[in-house]
Amino acid sequence: MMFPQSMKQLIAVVLERDADGVTRELLDQGVLHFVSVTEVDHSLGERVSGVTLRVTEAMIAEIRRRIEGFFNLAGGGTGTEQRLRVEDLKPLNLEETNRSLDEMAGRLQTIRERQQLIQQEILKLEDIRRQLEMFGDLTAGMQARSQFSFLSIQTGSVRRTALPELLEALKGVPSVHMMLGEEENQATVLLITMKRDDALVNKLLDKHGWAEVVLSREMLGGKEEVLKDLDGKLATYHEEQERLKTNIEELLREKRPQLERMWANLKMNELYARIQSFFSRTARTMIFSGWLPAQKQGPLQQGILRVTAGRCYLEWHDPREIPSTEKKSVPVQLRGPKMLAPFQMLVKNFSIPEYGTVDPTPFVFVAYLVMFGLMFGDVGQGLVLALAGVFGLLTYRGKSENIRNIMKLVIWCGGAAVLAGVMFGAYFGMGLLPPLWFNYHAIIAGHRGSGFVKDVYSILLLTIWFGISVIGLGLALNWLNCVRKRDWFRLVFDKGGLIGGWIYGVGVYSAFYFAQRAYKQLPPGNFLFFLIGLPVLFLGLKAPLEFFRHKGHKRFQPFTLIDWAMEWVVEILEIFSGYLANTLSFMRVAGLGIGHVSLMMAFFAIAGMMHGPGGGFTIWSYLILLAGNLLVIALEGMAAGIQSLRLNYYEFFSKYFSGSGKAYEPISLRKRV
Amino acid sequence: LAGAVHKYAFINAKLRARLSKILPEDFVTEMARTHTLTEAVQLLRGTDFAVVESVYNQTGDIKMAEMELARKEARLYLELEGLVKGEVQAIVFALAERFEIDNLKNALRLWFDARIRGRRIDTAVGYLIRDRIHRDLDLDAIVNAASLEEAGSTLAGTPYAAPVAERAAQVVQDQSLFSIEIALDHLFYLQLLAAVGGLEARDRAIARRMIGAEIDLQNINWLVRFKGFYKLSQEQALAFAIPSGVNLSPAQVAEAYASDNPSAVLAGLVRKKYSGLSAMLTPQEHAESYSRLVMIERILEQILLAEVRHLLAGYPFTIGIILAYFVLKSAEIRRIMTILNAKFYNWPEERIMAAL
Repeated sequence: MMFPQSMKQLIAVVLERDADGVTRELLDQGVLHFVSVTEVDHSLGERVSGVTLRVTEAMIAEIRRRIEGFFNLAGGGTGTEQRLRVEDLKPLNLEETNRSLDEMAGRLQTIRERQQLIQQEILKLEDIRRQLEMFGDLTAGMQARSQFSFLSIQTGSVRRTALPELLEALKGVPSVHMMLGEEENQATVLLITMKRDDALVNKLLDKHGWAEVVLSREMLGGKEEVLKDLDGKLATYHEEQERLKTNIEELLREKRPQLERMWANLKMNELYARIQSFFSRTARTMIFSGWLPAQKQGPLQQGILRVTAGRCYLEWHDPREIPSTEKKSVPVQLRGPKMLAPFQMLVKNFSIPEYGTVDPTPFVFVAYLVMFGLMFGDVGQGLVLALAGVFGLLTYRGKSENIRNIMKLVIWCGGAAVLAGVMFGAYFGMGLLPPLWFNYHAIIAGHRGSGFVKDVYSILLLTIWFGISVIGLGLALNWLNCVRKRDWFRLVFDKGGLIGGWIYGVGVYSAFYFAQRAYKQLPPGNFLFFLIGLPVLFLGLKAPLEFFRHKGHKRFQPFTLIDWAMEWVVEILEIFSGYLANTLSFMRVAGLGIGHVSLMMAFFAIAGMMHGPGGGFTIWSYLILLAGNLLVIALEGMAAGIQSLRLNYYEFFSKYFSGSGKAYEPISLRKRV
Repeated sequence: LAGAVHKYAFINAKLRARLSKILPEDFVTEMARTHTLTEAVQLLRGTDFAVVESVYNQTGDIKMAEMELARKEARLYLELEGLVKGEVQAIVFALAERFEIDNLKNALRLWFDARIRGRRIDTAVGYLIRDRIHRDLDLDAIVNAASLEEAGSTLAGTPYAAPVAERAAQVVQDQSLFSIEIALDHLFYLQLLAAVGGLEARDRAIARRMIGAEIDLQNINWLVRFKGFYKLSQEQALAFAIPSGVNLSPAQVAEAYASDNPSAVLAGLVRKKYSGLSAMLTPQEHAESYSRLVMIERILEQILLAEVRHLLAGYPFTIGIILAYFVLKSAEIRRIMTILNAKFYNWPEERIMAAL
């Protein structure tokens, strides 16, 4: 748990005829993080060639994405890799697949074109509707015809037999008509068109024997009837639009099983092609290489031996055989209980630790939560936070594992806040129960506490001690990393090495010595000389030793001495200022904690101002407290979370974390890509 | 310094956040490679262009989607106007005028199509954006006006009345709207440069350089059209050039218009300041001067983008971020809409890529 998973490297040689079976086995087991064999052994570059694939990964991926586009259009998720089984892997016929997709795209396009035509009809009617709404009534519209309106509103009669043909002809222009009356042979019609179409409309009317009729306002009716008629037509068109949209969804639903099958086969072929892209070819064999967790070595070896019937050569290597300079190429799989996944996410977000070095996850788990609790200690607010996390986790329907981990992190933070709240006796800013440790609110309010924490300064001191512990732990982990990497030079001379730690330790002692003597007396001179002067002098050896360790790079010149002196001075300055800043940086934990308590006190004071006649809280007081709590949970919760992360990343990780690792990413059917 | 931070901190953060959402080159290529319009639109889901996807799925009409996108962008500028004050607000106001002018141009084009060309515009009228930008423009009155003079009269009280009314006769005579369109472009840049005049010295210099680069591009854009479609004489064409460009002086614009190898006018500038673009200056033996003008347009576009990148990498608290956003967002919208329209007309991938 403290170190990443042990890995093994495989270099395999199989016969070309077994390549398909081996690829399928590798795909099925899904444990190998592939590397190019020419990277493993540069001399192989001239003796092997790459495998030429009939269909490349990129070609397959393009069609897969095309299908995913259809899935998105249907509103469903993309195909899931949970259902992929290597037995279902079939050779691809890209032309056939594309043809099927083109056929479906064509059907979709036909529906889209119909949608567009309807939309254009809607636009025409909306144009008329917009103009019509400007009039008080239709008579006003008719009167305004020549001057202000863009509409032509006219009433007239036409032979009943000619009417259908006229209405059909008018379909080409934006128009609305209403039947005002019907006699034996004649129909009286109200016709509304756009004035800009007058020339065309008048031609059509003349052709169909339109005779203008002047009607009274009563006979004409109100514009509401026309608008109602228009709205009816618009509603019909909108319904048609909805129906067409549903048609698309139905078409895609109907095709979904076929698309799912195509997608699955494409996905598997894509992974198959990706695996084979790592294969190198000799005259009759295929060579490939990769890394896998040590405990997976057995099953993979058996699998390959089985599918090749023993016709293969497998060579296994331990990372310990690799020179330390090349260890960075070993992929890293962080392990640890699933409950630590949110903290692993925080670590990965920073970087992947180098293979063989300490996995910071368990330390981040403790440090992050302690920091959060110290900044946001309140049982009630912590519970709200935890419940918000639970709610988010239960309601989140997306696929992002990171978002799930953030929800889980919120639950953890809520839990830490509850625990810290019990220690400080804080329940929604109130002291409902006595604190187990010290009363944070009372101390901020000016009451003197007992024990270690007596006042605000004690809280600041507490966080400084906490910071010293975190930095000390960081130094210890750095030494451990150096020992594991057998990097003795860094162990001694690194800023976070033994000399750096020595200076830090003595610096801490001296600072407290000075503070305890009312800032008037430093430790004795000989003590300072031996315990600070000596390591500083040792540090002066770093640059020359480094120079001679890599003497092939540079030639010694008189200026080299100046370089060494400068490096020494800069290093000393960096150690002194860096450690001082790192340690004092932890005072933000106290700052945020004090801020949290002060805000709650302020809200209580405001709530008190809204008291009732008897001095008790009113409904307004409770509303203020509710709003105050919500504000504090949102703002302080976020601030405490960010500051905890910052302290971990910059004060803790900087001491020991060599984030130059490469994540273990096997090609697998079961992993989301 | 504190003043600049106070003035630009918020807007800088907001616009940089939006700039981070600008679609990368790979995405544009992927869109161009899709097989159908529906598939291209589908890719926009979850991006800043999601409105295109939702409107297209609802209506099947790519123009409706384009209209919604333009409305959304205009609303952003109006929102930005409310977030800044003083001289910066004046700049955002002047930039937002572009949307009003575009809406007006669209209405005038419809009027021209209906009245001069005798085309049907029933459907096209529905794509007019009638939202208020800064003034209440009665676009329906313009589209339905009997004459341009009448259209001009509906614009009374706005800065657009004079450019429209004064050129009404010319439009009918030339059978082309370009004199009004150019007058409106002049007006836009004139207002923008006037707003720039109110800025502090550092901002003023940045804004003049950026806007000048855009004016160069606009001038060449018009020249390409004059040479390719209108066959105007050099004097006629140059009369329409907008002053205040930075990379092309009026003399160079004239030379570019008359020359058989117009890209030569930019050679010195490109080699001195934008050496990365030198390859674009390679002489094209068989290219017509029209194509070479198009090449200049491309170079100027790249110069403008280089200026934008330079601005974004520099000191953040200047007017540059607003102008950079305006340039980059306009370019992005133009590219996306070019692809979608090309898909609508079934252009092959190579032709789309060449048009981008």
